Amino acid sequence: MNNSIVLMKALLLSASRVNAYRHTTDAKKRKKITGGIIGTVVIYVMIMAYSVSLCIGFGKYGIIDAAPVMYAIIVSALGFILTLFRTNGYLFNFREYDMLMALPFKSSAVAACKFLYMYIKCLPWYLSISIAMLAGYGYFAKPCFLTYPVWIALSFVLPIIPMLISAFIGFLIARVSAGFRKTNIVQTVLTFIFVIFCFSSRFIIEDLFKNDKIEETLSTISDATSNAANYYLPAGWFAGAIIGQSLTDMLLLLGVSVILFAALFAIVGKSYRNINSALKSHAASKRYRMSGQKKKSVVNAVAFKEFKRMTGSTAYMVNGAMGEILAFLLGVVTLIIGFDKIVATVTNNAPFDPAILQPAIPFIVYFFIGMVATTVCSPSLEGKNYWIMQSLPIEKETIYKGKMLFNMYLTVPFMAFSTVCMCVSAKVSAVNTLLYLILGLALCAFSTSWGCVCGIKHIRLDWENEIEVIKQGAGVMIYLLPNMFANMGVCVLAVFLGTRLDHRITALAFIFIAVILSAISYRRVMKLSKTR
Amino acid sequence: MSEKAMLEIKHYSKAYGKGTKAADDVCLTVESGDIYGFIGHNGAGKSTTIRAVVGVLDFTEGEIFIDGHSVKDEPIECKKITAYIPDNPDLYENLTGIQYLNFVADVFGISAEEREKSIKKYADLFEITNSLGDLISSYSHGMKQKTAIISALIHKPKLLVLDEPFVGLDPKATFTLKELMHEMCQNGTAVFFSTHVLDVAEKLCNKIAIIKQGRIIASGSMKELTEGHSLEEVFLEADNE
Repeated sequence: MNNSIVLMKALLLSASRVNAYRHTTDAKKRKKITGGIIGTVVIYVMIMAYSVSLCIGFGKYGIIDAAPVMYAIIVSALGFILTLFRTNGYLFNFREYDMLMALPFKSSAVAACKFLYMYIKCLPWYLSISIAMLAGYGYFAKPCFLTYPVWIALSFVLPIIPMLISAFIGFLIARVSAGFRKTNIVQTVLTFIFVIFCFSSRFIIEDLFKNDKIEETLSTISDATSNAANYYLPAGWFAGAIIGQSLTDMLLLLGVSVILFAALFAIVGKSYRNINSALKSHAASKRYRMSGQKKKSVVNAVAFKEFKRMTGSTAYMVNGAMGEILAFLLGVVTLIIGFDKIVATVTNNAPFDPAILQPAIPFIVYFFIGMVATTVCSPSLEGKNYWIMQSLPIEKETIYKGKMLFNMYLTVPFMAFSTVCMCVSAKVSAVNTLLYLILGLALCAFSTSWGCVCGIKHIRLDWENEIEVIKQGAGVMIYLLPNMFANMGVCVLAVFLGTRLDHRITALAFIFIAVILSAISYRRVMKLSKTR
Repeated sequence: MSEKAMLEIKHYSKAYGKGTKAADDVCLTVESGDIYGFIGHNGAGKSTTIRAVVGVLDFTEGEIFIDGHSVKDEPIECKKITAYIPDNPDLYENLTGIQYLNFVADVFGISAEEREKSIKKYADLFEITNSLGDLISSYSHGMKQKTAIISALIHKPKLLVLDEPFVGLDPKATFTLKELMHEMCQNGTAVFFSTHVLDVAEKLCNKIAIIKQGRIIASGSMKELTEGHSLEEVFLEADNE
């Protein structure tokens, strides 16, 4: 058997929950695996429902022909983003690197297998969107029979190009970082810069459209998607193959994917060992002189350990601190551009007074700050080091208090900065600003303790790759989605109540609710911590 | 029965960034049939050298040859005849022991009959046959180490490289491993391993090298180096110079 296939088989088997279920006798672990599978299926069903509803909307407005391009763009964006956050951890800097590289595999084969492994792991996400949108498209557009197998076949190919582009960017970042002594820090900073660029590129593109006066062409979704297909060629090829039954488009999508794949891994293979050597090794200065040791309280010592754990991992840093960085940027941008102008841009100059959005300021900031709480993944991140904290003569509650304290240290300053910037820019009164800060503090406390509940309840120590618990853990999903959607709802509610009641009263009411929720979550953490 | 050079390290150096050199102009030769001990303090550069030998760590200065093949230019050829057991084996935790061993056997293209015979032989010797159907995540450190050792032996390597192999092994497994090392050397395999346990090195090795701050400060046959003294005395004396 070809060695690459052997490696792929082992990688997939090692990630297979069914394999783990079959070979464990631990009833608790089996229950956990079953729960995990059910949870994942529920998420796939939700994605499928969303995709079908999108097609229903397209069908009702008579623009069902835009569905293939829309599907191509959604899957491409998803593939790009998922890969970007996983390149470091899956493709580079993975735990079993020594074991694999000591075996007779070519570096390029290891890198390619790791990429394909990433691709196969994400495939159910892509296919759930694909099947649902195909069903919707089939129902409304009534295409010929050939469309169905072509759509399904190309669904396997479509995510490859954006994933390759994303992996290549990850490779470039890793390659550049490998040349520095503080590899990890440089890699983290470069990743941050790139992600922020991606977030802001939406506005840059919109601006370009406006300058070229193409805005009119974006007046309908149909035009927008066909416009996107002109810019992002693989989406156009996919649509051409589906709607126009174009063999050329089909071959182009397939051919370019294969060529890019081969080219990328030929390039990556050449520096693969060099990059991993740099990422997995740390320079020793051996110049340390013992001086100025300080005593910390136990909780602070745990919090400091959490801080070092975070700064030591690019994946943890990028995922855990992204919200804080975005909140900081939001504050700076608001201060420079002005609250009113930003509101006008986001709402496309809707005719209303931006002041009515003031009660939503703490929730807008919380949208970023509460995006990820470090307390969700930090219990699982202990992994093989779990014994260290457990064997120390400290109460289990103290460990989690330390973890929560770190998240508060991380979130509160950014929350305060961003809130103050927005309040100053929106000319919010001093009293209201103070109330929004207190509300922000209460929300940070809620995010921290609720995150910790999710983290302890879904603790997973036997991970192969830290990305599994930082990005894909059950705790992260359970924390992230309800928190995000509830926050959006509360944001709307705050604006609505603000138009009818005094802003101070609404702020006080929300502070009260947030404090109660924080207290409940905190008590739950204290209770759960005794069992873990 | 020392004869052919199985491992040649020539002027190998490794620096991380612009920091101190972890390995500095390391030169040594391990011949087939040798049991070569690599001794040094923690952080002396043993693992850095070993990881470069097995093709895990990239390096720019110097050359490493395994059975005449360059690690830099012909890494696959080198890895086909080498086996490596790291100090802390990171195996696929969600595979069972037997699935992992089959994975390694597949990589080396070992036939079904041959692998079954080898796995059974070594698993019985290390007394983990009954656990091979369990997930590796349920294994103790010692059991993982034993699994890694079996995976290293099933393809009959010409060069066996071990990083602190006795850490975490029970006394019986330690004895078994030492016996296996002897047996392999009698069959022409070269063994190169790092250790802190000087007693083990003294009894087991026919050659040793002592590394300090990345540089080899003493190397040669055990007889030449010790000359009636204990290895501990030789090590401490070399270390103090």
